[in-house]
Amino acid sequence: MVINTDYLERSLELWPFTNTKPSSWLNQLRANAIDQASMLRLPTKRDEEWRFTDISALTHLPFRPSQPENIIHIGDVEHLFLKEAKIRLVFIDGYFSSSLSIFDPTSLTVGNLPMFLSSNSAYLESHLGRLAKYEDNVFTALNTAFLSDAAVVSIPKNAAVRDPIHLLFIATQNEVTSYPRCLLVCEEGSNITLVEEYIAHNNAKYITNSVSEFFLAPHANVKHIRIQRENLEAFHLANCAVSLDRASQYQSISISTGARISRYNQNVFLNDEAAECTIDGLTMISNQQLADTHSCIDHIKPHGTSYQQHKCIVNEKAHAVFNGRIVVRPHAQQTNSSQSSRNLLLSKTAQVNTKPQLEIFADDVKCAHGATVGQLDEEELFYLGSRGLSPATARSLLTYAFAAEVINRIPVTSLRQRLEQAILYQKSE
Amino acid sequence: MSAVLQSLVNQPYKHGFVTEIESDVAPKGLNEDIIRLISAKKNEPEWLLTFRLEAYKTWLTMTEPKWQNVHYPSIDFQDISYYSAPKPKKKLSSMDEVDPELLRTFEKLGVPMHERAALAGVAVDVIFDSVSVATTYKQKLADVGIIFCSISEAVHNHPELIQKYLGSVVPVGDNYFAALNSAVFTDGSFCFIPKGVKCPMDLSTYFRINTEGSGQFERTLIIAEEGASVSYLEGCTAPRFDTNQLHAAVVELIALDDADIKYSTVQNWYAGDENGVGGIYNFVTKRGLAKGRNSRISWTQVETGSAITWKYPSCILRGDNSVGEFYSVAVTNNYQQADTGTKMIHLGKNTRSTIVSKGISAGHSNSSYRGLVRISPTAEGARNYSQCDSMLIGDQCGAHTFPYIQVHNNTAKVEHEASTSKIGEDQLFYFSQRGIDAEEAVSMIINGFCKDVFQQLPMEFAVEATKLLSFKLEGSVG
Repeated sequence: MVINTDYLERSLELWPFTNTKPSSWLNQLRANAIDQASMLRLPTKRDEEWRFTDISALTHLPFRPSQPENIIHIGDVEHLFLKEAKIRLVFIDGYFSSSLSIFDPTSLTVGNLPMFLSSNSAYLESHLGRLAKYEDNVFTALNTAFLSDAAVVSIPKNAAVRDPIHLLFIATQNEVTSYPRCLLVCEEGSNITLVEEYIAHNNAKYITNSVSEFFLAPHANVKHIRIQRENLEAFHLANCAVSLDRASQYQSISISTGARISRYNQNVFLNDEAAECTIDGLTMISNQQLADTHSCIDHIKPHGTSYQQHKCIVNEKAHAVFNGRIVVRPHAQQTNSSQSSRNLLLSKTAQVNTKPQLEIFADDVKCAHGATVGQLDEEELFYLGSRGLSPATARSLLTYAFAAEVINRIPVTSLRQRLEQAILYQKSE
Repeated sequence: MSAVLQSLVNQPYKHGFVTEIESDVAPKGLNEDIIRLISAKKNEPEWLLTFRLEAYKTWLTMTEPKWQNVHYPSIDFQDISYYSAPKPKKKLSSMDEVDPELLRTFEKLGVPMHERAALAGVAVDVIFDSVSVATTYKQKLADVGIIFCSISEAVHNHPELIQKYLGSVVPVGDNYFAALNSAVFTDGSFCFIPKGVKCPMDLSTYFRINTEGSGQFERTLIIAEEGASVSYLEGCTAPRFDTNQLHAAVVELIALDDADIKYSTVQNWYAGDENGVGGIYNFVTKRGLAKGRNSRISWTQVETGSAITWKYPSCILRGDNSVGEFYSVAVTNNYQQADTGTKMIHLGKNTRSTIVSKGISAGHSNSSYRGLVRISPTAEGARNYSQCDSMLIGDQCGAHTFPYIQVHNNTAKVEHEASTSKIGEDQLFYFSQRGIDAEEAVSMIINGFCKDVFQQLPMEFAVEATKLLSFKLEGSVG
């Protein structure tokens, strides 16, 4: 416990905004968040929400907040870019890099925090920090307290952005904590595809503490692809909050393959009638990795629909955790919700903890969930063997098939192919 | 239709009467002296007192758990009387000497004791506010070598068995309420089925809480030796009081090689009135250890009573090829709360477990299924199938599912399914079109919903459970 408070205390001590005043509301927000953070403590395995995820390892690390250092050349990271994306915002250790990004600075719909602050501060104020609650989440509180840069995407009414927008967060510095932040505001009837990607540039040890907030106005349609490919030394702690207005549609695909310890909290609020969300997830880990996904789909108003499918492929000594919570509030009648958690264990030492949770307070609803844990089917392996495939090929083919259900939903071709390759060439016991 | 049904659902609690017999009640409060007093009253040997005191010391170091999905004002453990026994006028030698007032109580309850016992062919070990009053059919059971008696008797007559097994499945420090029970348990049932014996009849205990402000802390221990088998029934009721009563029991089952234990419960403690005042807090630790190869432990429960039901009858599947089963129907109405489910801990090879849980919530009640399926690294080829369905009646109630699935072995196959539904208008329409009124239709639909579980109950219990269920729910649909 003593060690635990150390990390938090160090972070609190290093808070840089004691005397700055970039914009009064923003300063107030940070000050509130740092106050809140100082009242919270780091979660331990004794907390129900963190039962299986031991983050005590990160408390031993003398990490300081990352600094803006733009030392990356475009040639070093070019391979990470998506050819389909016409708009790309690149952040190095949480700080915006204009030289690596492509966007139109004259159109004020996509940019970073300082740009929006100077031109449209009131707009930011009404959204930033409004959805990702930091009152009871120490990591969101810290992210908000250290908020100095952010990716801001604002899509005007009825605009349809055909090409995906790529938000690329690259980690480079050793022994730092970076605080990436995303804000997406989709006005009424708008339609976009957003790729949010976290990746390591080297083998640095670091903590990524990211927070994303998505606002979907009535009839907005958002496809959100989230890729987490941190290196195996990294800690990735992420919170994502999504608010759905009337008849809006949110489709999310989260792929998590990296980080020594990762934790992704995704909270989706169906705040008005007839909202619809599809939440898919794929975790693919090996070595000694631990990947924890906690999601909460909150049906607040009637006629909501949600589909969730989470898959884990766990190899070697890795450990996957899934906790999917579906809440149907009183009077959220005619809710239709389904959830499935499917897990594939590829080695004897792999483990998985899954907990699909239903909390239902309305009677006229259809809710179902299911969970399975298993290994590759011997008969299927035998069949492929009888067709002349080597055991290793057969295994990776079947593993691929298991993952394909999620991967195939990714609407960005180059990204999908990249992931397919990564899965097909993964070794299995 | 709702008016008719409403009147039926508001039917007063059938078993709500107090038997006026002199009780021997210990002063309220809990300390070492009280524990010594209980031990002395029961004339217990030194080792049991040590067991109790150790449990008490452990309990003092523990804090009341808070993770459960039930809410209740905190319990003042110093405001409970930990011992309440009907004052024995003299030693009982036959059933005729039992206090007639007591017998009338059981008569009202419809307990098949005394002559009536023959009717159901059941041997009843009656627990009346913690002290076993009379045990029937003892001789018949003794002939085949079965020991079926109160746990205090067993302490005197079979101390070696009690010493060997008591606390072996639920250790004293297992959880807060188990520690409390270990410190203050007053009586309970003990059952020992020797090697190779199939118990010739269903064994049954009937629990009843009588004294206001007393806790019921009974302890049940069932041991089935190699190749033995037994079916054990437990029924519970309590009179109505405005105060909440705590019932913190511990049940331990041990099955050796090829043994088979089937444990069925119909729980109908007083649930509080329609405003949620009073009722029993039913916080019970039940656990079975399938110790031997090919052993089998099966829990069946029908939970209709109690203001709060909070228990997880569990199976530790240690023996290779052992089987664990859990069949449950939990019905909540008015302001009742239930957080119940099971734990299946797979340790041995090729262990199998089945979980079927049906929750029905009506009124302002909340019912949760919380279950753990844990496949340890040693449990090669383990298999689990879980199904938990909830039915909601009305829009003021809640149904929740919290399945914990922990798999540490890749040869395991684990499946979990859950669904939530309500009684559809079209279903009711279909029934009425066939000339079946709404009330009966609901009862039939619910019975169909619970069929998988009721099938597991012994005959008499199944009938009782079906009746109980319609009592509980009539009037909540409309």
